[in-house]
Amino acid sequence: MMMSKIVRTMTHLLVPLTFIYSVYLIMHGHLTPGGGFQGGGVFASAVALLIVAFGSQNIHKSLKEHHLSILESSGALIFIGLAFGGLAAVFFYNFLTGSSIFGRIPPTGSNPGDIWTGGVIPLMNFAVGLKVIAGLSAILLTMALATSLKEVEE
Amino acid sequence: MIESGILHIIIPVLLVVCALLVAIFKDLIAAAITLAVFSLLLALEFYLLQAPDVAIAEAGVGAAITVAIYILAIRATKRT
Amino acid sequence: MRKTAIVVSLIIFAALLVVTAFLIHPFGDPPSDMDDYIIANTQRETGANNAVTAVVFDYRGYDTLGEATILFTAVTGVVMLFRRRKRA
Repeated sequence: MMMSKIVRTMTHLLVPLTFIYSVYLIMHGHLTPGGGFQGGGVFASAVALLIVAFGSQNIHKSLKEHHLSILESSGALIFIGLAFGGLAAVFFYNFLTGSSIFGRIPPTGSNPGDIWTGGVIPLMNFAVGLKVIAGLSAILLTMALATSLKEVEE
Repeated sequence: MIESGILHIIIPVLLVVCALLVAIFKDLIAAAITLAVFSLLLALEFYLLQAPDVAIAEAGVGAAITVAIYILAIRATKRT
Repeated sequence: MRKTAIVVSLIIFAALLVVTAFLIHPFGDPPSDMDDYIIANTQRETGANNAVTAVVFDYRGYDTLGEATILFTAVTGVVMLFRRRKRA
């Protein structure tokens, strides 16, 4: 069931801003406060707003659980793969520091920051963000669908 | 820093008040919304203690996702 | 009788908590040297400005792996419990 037109209009305004903020949190996780888990939580809160405003049946037309589970498993596989990538030295070794990909070394101390730093950390932020987005959205979507079906039965 | 000192007293008191209200309220929806207020105050306290990472996680997960899941679970029960 | 026992045990518990709160080391004065090492060497070793993310994903990667496992298990359980059955 949909909510009123006021709620839907405000959702149209708020959801793109929240998505952009969550992607900013994930992609700048190695420079500013934030990271994969926080960005994924913010994204999933926007999905919760969508589910509340438009009804779970309408959201389920364009967002299926098996797509979300594929996203979550791929995030976990990227994370484990990056962890195994440093196995030449030790598990979870940061093997990209100093290389050509995300490899710049910032000066020690306060500095404005450079996005092309951090070694393997931005990629792990991306993987964990993908995993948390898909996982929390799948939890919200399945619970909303289950409860709305119960309403239909009664 | 006197304002920060006052806030460090006010916010924990409000946290305790919100936690007591969650336990006292008979209406489950009201209790869930008070839990959201509790999480937002806790996020503000984390920010004042200079932990912005934890503040963002608490505001996103604690105030939005947890309360949404609680309200979805309350929706499946019968109101008497 | 029972009520007084409950009240007395609660008071003892609260007193223990207050004593523990005064025994914690002062705010901003951590008890170990590990954080000094991390603050001094994070930017040189990992190249990340945000030391918290560097700790979470680099120095303490196993913890993040456990957190990812917990999230995966939770999602698996919820989807298995609430999946829609075909016959309905």
